[in-house]
Amino acid sequence: MTGLRAASLGVPFEPVPGFVGTDLPATADFRTVKDPWTGEEIYVVPALRPRWALLHVQEADARGNARILGSPGYDLLMAAAADQVILTAERIIETEELARTPELTGISDLTVAAVVEAPGGARPGDCPGHYDVDGAAIRRYLEAARTAEGLAAYLEAER
Amino acid sequence: MTSPPEPSGVGTGPAAAVADDVRAAADQVVVTLARLVRDGEVTCHGVNSIVPALALMLARQGHAPSARQISIGGGLDGMPPSLPRSSSGSGWLSGSPVVLSNVDVYQLALRGRVDLMLLGCVQVDAHGRVNSTVIGSFDRPEVRLPGGGGAAVLFQVVRRIVVYRTRHEPRALPIAVDFVTATGNLDRVVTPLAVFRATPGGLKLEGFQPGASLDAVRTRTGFAVVPTEDCAPVPPPTVAERQLLERLDPDRLRDLDFL
Repeated sequence: MTGLRAASLGVPFEPVPGFVGTDLPATADFRTVKDPWTGEEIYVVPALRPRWALLHVQEADARGNARILGSPGYDLLMAAAADQVILTAERIIETEELARTPELTGISDLTVAAVVEAPGGARPGDCPGHYDVDGAAIRRYLEAARTAEGLAAYLEAER
Repeated sequence: MTSPPEPSGVGTGPAAAVADDVRAAADQVVVTLARLVRDGEVTCHGVNSIVPALALMLARQGHAPSARQISIGGGLDGMPPSLPRSSSGSGWLSGSPVVLSNVDVYQLALRGRVDLMLLGCVQVDAHGRVNSTVIGSFDRPEVRLPGGGGAAVLFQVVRRIVVYRTRHEPRALPIAVDFVTATGNLDRVVTPLAVFRATPGGLKLEGFQPGASLDAVRTRTGFAVVPTEDCAPVPPPTVAERQLLERLDPDRLRDLDFL
């Protein structure tokens, strides 16, 4: 989250509390800086700037303005951190419909490169208001994904 | 000069009480700003910015239909049925598919996604440095100004900054500002008398507005005025521009900043 937030703000790194005494900073190239006010050491995390964010949303217009219903999780942060966004949407709606309640729109089209109409696009995960997690489908996927042929057959069957 | 009318009630402008030269100055600055917008640019205007907001709408309805307009009040490509009295008012959400928070707008700017911003200022000097903070010394000011409102950052992350002045006078265009509030990607300075272009060697006179001459600009400018090689008169508003202005701002709210 800290790396994505640094990217979203256009800064090279961001401080983060914690991690002291753990082995994690060495595995991810976290470094420390001295707080210029207190002199205390604190870990800083480099900006994590994805080329793309792929997000599934409930409703989007064809230009890429989108509503996320339920918790946005890290989606808005990912959209702000990435260079560009690709949206998949349960349904495509008119821009005028979004303009009636613009405060519900979480993602603006300014950074969206493509919008794909993809009902069921979050399966076998959940999509609030549309479907819940499908445990049986996840088990089928795990079994099928053991081989490339199995995965291809799974994807074909789930389309 | 007649005293300015009391601003009263939403939607009422200064109307007929305003002198012709004030109306002409307001129209000329708005159309000059609008002409600087390039089609497809992502543009932004701040609070207390009726002149830039109107200029951006004029550009979008004229030569730059694909330009995007972010209002700091949250709207994206808003098309209010009548010009809101405040450029941060909720009217700018009219027609917008999204509400952008101030954090959203700054994030876009910080990531280099805003191409053009139109900003007012109190002083701009020969080097294109802007002062919106204080006249006199910071600790013992003659006048404490409203502040830059993020300009110190925006000047260095937005691709092009155009600043405008509603009055062209020597103390507003000094050799050096009293306090550097912002410096960076300045592109143009627009006043009722002149258009300056920012060059590596400082501000140069690119055009003079209708009714102004090189001598008039020199007399009213605090720093030495150097014309560009292609310095030329700026055309007055076209018939099409006048008609659009009349339709977008029939109450002439734009005049208020020029009184």
